[in-house]
Amino acid sequence: MKLSWLIGALAVVAVALFVVLAWMYILPMDLRDRSPVQPIAFSHKVHAGTNGIQCLFCHSSASKSPVASIPAVAECRACHLFIAPDAPEIKKLMGYWDRKEPIPWVRVYSLPDFVYFPHMMHVRAGLGCARCHGVVATMDRITRSVKLKMGWCLDCHRKHKASIDCWTCHI
Amino acid sequence: MKRRTFLQLGTMTAAASWLSGCRSANEKLIPYLTPPDEGVTPGMAVYYASSCRFCPAGCGILVRVSEGRAKKIEGNPAHPLNRGKLCARGQAVVQELYHPDRVTQPLKRSGPRGSGQFTRISWEEGLALLTEQLGKLQRERATDRLALVTPPLRGTLAELAAGFMRSFGSPRHLSYELLGPDWLRTAARRSFGQPSLPYYDIAETRYLLSFGADFVEYHLSPVQYGFAFGRMRQGRDTVRGHFTYVGGRMSLTAASADRWMAARPGSEGMLALGIARLILAESLFDAGSLTANGLRADDLLRRLEAYDLDRVAHLSGLRQDVIAEVAREFATTRPALAMAGEPVAFQTNGPDAVRAVQLLNVLVGNLNRPGGIYPDAGETTGPEDSFAELLSLVDRMLGDRISVVMVHGDPVHAVPPATGFQEALARVPFIASFSSLLDDTALQADLVLPDHAALESWGDVIPLAGTREPVIGLMQPVVTPLYDTRQFPEVLMATARGLGGTMAAAFPYQSYLEMLKSSIKKRVGPAGGGDFEVVWVDLLRQGGLFKANNGQGKSLRWAAGATLPDPGEPRFAGDEKQFPLHLQVYPSTAFLDGRGAPLPWLQQLPDPMTTVVWDSWVELNPETAVWLGISFGDLVEVTSPQGSLRLPAVIYPGIRPDTVAIPLGQGHHGGGRYAKGRGANPLALVALMGINREPQPAWNATMVRVTRISEKGELVTAGNPQGSYRSELIEI
Repeated sequence: MKLSWLIGALAVVAVALFVVLAWMYILPMDLRDRSPVQPIAFSHKVHAGTNGIQCLFCHSSASKSPVASIPAVAECRACHLFIAPDAPEIKKLMGYWDRKEPIPWVRVYSLPDFVYFPHMMHVRAGLGCARCHGVVATMDRITRSVKLKMGWCLDCHRKHKASIDCWTCHI
Repeated sequence: MKRRTFLQLGTMTAAASWLSGCRSANEKLIPYLTPPDEGVTPGMAVYYASSCRFCPAGCGILVRVSEGRAKKIEGNPAHPLNRGKLCARGQAVVQELYHPDRVTQPLKRSGPRGSGQFTRISWEEGLALLTEQLGKLQRERATDRLALVTPPLRGTLAELAAGFMRSFGSPRHLSYELLGPDWLRTAARRSFGQPSLPYYDIAETRYLLSFGADFVEYHLSPVQYGFAFGRMRQGRDTVRGHFTYVGGRMSLTAASADRWMAARPGSEGMLALGIARLILAESLFDAGSLTANGLRADDLLRRLEAYDLDRVAHLSGLRQDVIAEVAREFATTRPALAMAGEPVAFQTNGPDAVRAVQLLNVLVGNLNRPGGIYPDAGETTGPEDSFAELLSLVDRMLGDRISVVMVHGDPVHAVPPATGFQEALARVPFIASFSSLLDDTALQADLVLPDHAALESWGDVIPLAGTREPVIGLMQPVVTPLYDTRQFPEVLMATARGLGGTMAAAFPYQSYLEMLKSSIKKRVGPAGGGDFEVVWVDLLRQGGLFKANNGQGKSLRWAAGATLPDPGEPRFAGDEKQFPLHLQVYPSTAFLDGRGAPLPWLQQLPDPMTTVVWDSWVELNPETAVWLGISFGDLVEVTSPQGSLRLPAVIYPGIRPDTVAIPLGQGHHGGGRYAKGRGANPLALVALMGINREPQPAWNATMVRVTRISEKGELVTAGNPQGSYRSELIEI
């Protein structure tokens, strides 16, 4: 009697362990990498969705530089001196400004150093930002929506008849 | 430790290492606090044209600047001197800007001299200190007690420094550099009646005969000549120029030659005359050229009678048939070109040896001809005997007749101690240095007023002996100054303003930039036309003022009444029995005379012949090494009548058995963390030699002996990368 209980319990534990491990194996468990907590709970949904601000308004280099750029702290502050200055997150923003500290945003999309990815070429080719970055306008916190693997780049390059020469990206 | 504690600690370590794996791998995205100025696009580089002032060659450079930071230096393709090429030293200049040991603000000495103890002061305080010292001299009517020591300056800065000293009333401006081409100017004055530097048309020549001129490494304008050498070899369809090198040590230049003639040190001038005599005797000379230069072949032959083949072969230690073959090749291939270099010039018979080589050019008729020699189009004036001026300044300092010395550069490291300069400088009551690193000179200074780095400075750079067309390169700041430093000319002008009176009136400019612009405006002349601001911006964009060759009438001609060169036998410091080996000190490919040593890229640059990094070494012929019982990498002691040094030995077949060679450049007491205490400075071995009691810069006329100390030379080479306790540094 007691032995069968013990065997049953062990079996349950083993199955549970197996399920948990399998789940961890299948699911992308890098939640913190894909959707990291930012120092300020900045909402793209409010800015780009509700208020309809264009992407290039803040990420102004995307059309003319390899990097999209993020706005300077002073630029955030310029608007928020007047918009919702009392909200707790805005107070955090002003705190950074008062301490003359840049906000340590956590990077969500990054490519290895051996890949040359120019934003401006893709923006000028008329590719929407959402193609790679997902529908940012619906996200409170940015979540990486694609796997940045070479096959994924190549698929799109093939579809658009863009160059797939090695030297295009690996220069 | 108890078993329980051990297990606890073990578990904690394991848990900690497991947890750290959970940390997000994401990088941070750091925004600007305030948006950058107009014209800066994050991620996009801007290129500025400027000029390199690292060595006097003065190449044009393009600096890549990204987000307001200088990232990379390359040659400027529009510059007529280097045409887009640049040497390793020029590439490394970016490290001068970011050097971690830069002097970030004025310093006042607080400990004893050389201790490196300084207190930080403000610019107002620093300038007041200097002005007070100079004002005191003015009040005492002893203005000639001020000395200014700089490398040879050119262009607007030379004008400013001269104006400063003139209006102050002191004639003691010493423009000295160990490798300065004074000897070429003197030789040209004596041979051609004008002190111009030569421009060698290597690209078009068919037979190049170099007497120790290492033009690939450092001689005059190495980038320009390196490029021209490539064209001489491969730039023409049917001709591959031939190159013969004469010299006791195989330099990188010699290694590029078709024939290496390892002549005995000091015999090169006599060898040149031997070749000249053979050319005359066999009537292979250019008769037209001799007539044009007012020389007569039979007369010359008679006066060169002493240099017969037998004697010259004996003196130079070369085979007679080889000398004769080279003489015939040189005379029968047109155009042919002979150059003389520093190893020849820095002997007791150097001045005449250089002229003997010039005579060869006259004999084969290549003056002012393609593939021959032209006068250089740069500044015609320059120091001709700055070494004598150096010695007279030393005398004055020893006699306590100098109260204030202002020094730009690092003469404490780069002047041989045999001149007594260091000792004399120590007697001067007040020394102001303008170094941007605490180099050997700044360590002795009472006041350090740090100069900008080159990439933060304005200026004009007139290339030394590298072009036939007049060229003025412009330097412009490519980044905002990193620290609280000021440009040397600005400091001179501020001091003049502080002294007031006639001194202030001598500089009616608000800034050095204004002075520079007005001096360039004068150079451009009315040809520029219209608005000078537009012309100025255009010049900056281009990198300088490059005039097309206007074929002006300057040319070389053997001066009437010029004596025939008579090198005579060289003399050496040191008894032959006690000191059996010749010492050759040569500028290092990476550091030149030592100015490159603070830059880690140059420290890590393997010497092209021996692959040594981060160190000094002495080169020994394998025969000599066997005779002395020395093997590769041993620590040896090199002793001369002047002093002794310990450094590792490199067994090097490319050197005469009776010669050892040590590169210049290392052995700094200061100069930042990468240069300090590294290697040895061979200038400490060099003795002062003179003719008729008149000392001359015969740096290669010292004899030494070498003894083995131990097997631990700690030498790091490509073949022996782990050979050093300094291996952690090799990763830089």
